[in-house]
Amino acid sequence: MADDLDDGIDFEHRSFWNDASRRFCRNRLAVTGLAIVGLVAFLAIFADFLAPFPYDHAYFDKVLLEPFQHPDHPLGTDEVGRDYLSRLIYGARTSLTVSLLVQAIAVLIGVPVGALSGYFGGRLDFAVSRVIDVMTAFPSLLFAILIISVLDGGLPTIIIALSITGWIGIARLTRAQFLTLREQEYALAAKALGVPSSKIIFHDLLLNALTPILVAVSFGIPGTIFAEAGLSFIGLGINDPLASWGKMVGVSNAYVRVYWHLALFPTIAIAMTMLGFSFLGDGLRDALDPKYEE
Amino acid sequence: MLIYLAQRLLALAFVLLAVSMIVFTLMHSVPGGPFDTQQAKLPKAARENIERKYGLDKPVWQQYLNYMSHAVRFDFGIPYQQPQTTVAALIGKTWLVTLQVGIMTIIVAFGLGITAGMFAAYHQNSWVDNIVTFFSMLGVTVPNFVIAMWFILFFGVTRQWLPTGGWGKSGDCLCYDLLCSDWILPVLAYALAPMAIIARYTRASIVDVIREDYVRTARAKGLGESKVMRRHVLRNAQIPMVTALGTEIPNLITGSIFIETIFRINGLGKFFVTSTLNRDYPMIMATFLLVALLWGITFMLTDIAYTLIDPRVKLGAKKEA
Repeated sequence: MADDLDDGIDFEHRSFWNDASRRFCRNRLAVTGLAIVGLVAFLAIFADFLAPFPYDHAYFDKVLLEPFQHPDHPLGTDEVGRDYLSRLIYGARTSLTVSLLVQAIAVLIGVPVGALSGYFGGRLDFAVSRVIDVMTAFPSLLFAILIISVLDGGLPTIIIALSITGWIGIARLTRAQFLTLREQEYALAAKALGVPSSKIIFHDLLLNALTPILVAVSFGIPGTIFAEAGLSFIGLGINDPLASWGKMVGVSNAYVRVYWHLALFPTIAIAMTMLGFSFLGDGLRDALDPKYEE
Repeated sequence: MLIYLAQRLLALAFVLLAVSMIVFTLMHSVPGGPFDTQQAKLPKAARENIERKYGLDKPVWQQYLNYMSHAVRFDFGIPYQQPQTTVAALIGKTWLVTLQVGIMTIIVAFGLGITAGMFAAYHQNSWVDNIVTFFSMLGVTVPNFVIAMWFILFFGVTRQWLPTGGWGKSGDCLCYDLLCSDWILPVLAYALAPMAIIARYTRASIVDVIREDYVRTARAKGLGESKVMRRHVLRNAQIPMVTALGTEIPNLITGSIFIETIFRINGLGKFFVTSTLNRDYPMIMATFLLVALLWGITFMLTDIAYTLIDPRVKLGAKKEA
């Protein structure tokens, strides 16, 4: 593992992260995944410049254009005449906003909770473990729907609804990591030297627990994309006029027999994004875990 | 063993209690009630009468105690949407449908998934392996509701080979008429993702085991290939498969909101959505309790299954992984 990160000894600098990035770059699928994710992120960030039209402007004289039928709208228009290409590009923004924010919240809550409970054990750990037990019993989608029915729909609600159960997995993982890590010699040594607990937890041990957390997050992202797309698909997620791939597939359900392109493009978008993150996650796991040497 | 089971059941009871409290608080945290959101506005007196009938005029903690005191006697109240039945009966009816979908999906997913994974592992890096890898990639990356929609479009609408939705003469009995072909599309669409995961798990664990020394020993001492597979490879590859089983089964038997919505199957998942939107308190509570109970029991059974297939695992010893 990454024991050599913080021991202060000067030696030829070939750190764990150097090795990992080398392993990652040699993995073709991982690089493909990174490229896809990079592209989606690029679309999401620069949507305002890349999209030819605003996502919410309806051209009522050009409703349901087929792709390549009109030079202004290369991918056609939707049921109220909004440019489909623009909506797809803005859909990337919605998808990534939800999935990245949900995972960020999951890490911000799950890591400290799991770390403290795993490190200190005792009553705190007992309490945290019970909370984790209870929250695990909640089916995350049903719980999300309940939250959505309590709060109003829309982007912030989706993020809250998915975050509430999202941190549990990270917390459980971090706790398990810390349970074994706190018994390691270097943790005991640091303790014996009088290093404050906060520094041991959030510096020495956290760096060593980072790998599995990172992998869990990269697999959590496609899961969140799926959840958001699904909720939007059945009409409980993102509200109009915001673009969401899941909603675009769902709405197109009514027209799909004739206007198949309305379902095809968002399907491809969802599939490619999830594929990209899956490849990236696999690649990260293989690169960060020296055991996975191929 | 018995002490272990007792501990687990006690923990499960605690979890159910906590789940009930959280759900109850959340449901009642929004102002208003189930009977004032209807389109046809009820006269005030009539609404108050209904609310009194269901005890909604009392403070929330009293409603909760009231609910729980009935719930421990397996009386889960009356669904507001269909007052002519009881919640237990309605859940039973809808869950039966979900269970049918789930069991068929489990059979398809595990049957095909394990077979495909075995073939892929056995013919590593051949075209079989590539096809299996491709389909498991597809299953993991394309959400099941999107697959379902394309299935409906192609097999149901364009080709008209299979019905686009509905679910048999469901809800009558546990048996399901397989000749009534409306099960094929939902089950296939639903099974694809778990099938992909199972195939990947199976392949990975067999590939791991097949390189072990004891497999080489078994071959070296002249054991037939099928016996090597059955006695040495598959037995040891079972453990990760049980993990997959334990995480997928509770999902499958509690149903998919998406699959049930898109195929118009009146199961638990679809009913949950309507219950939530209509603020049907007793139905929401009962669904959450049922699902939490099922999850708890499956976790317990998975842990017990570990000890059955792997003598090295001991019950009660805290597993931290």
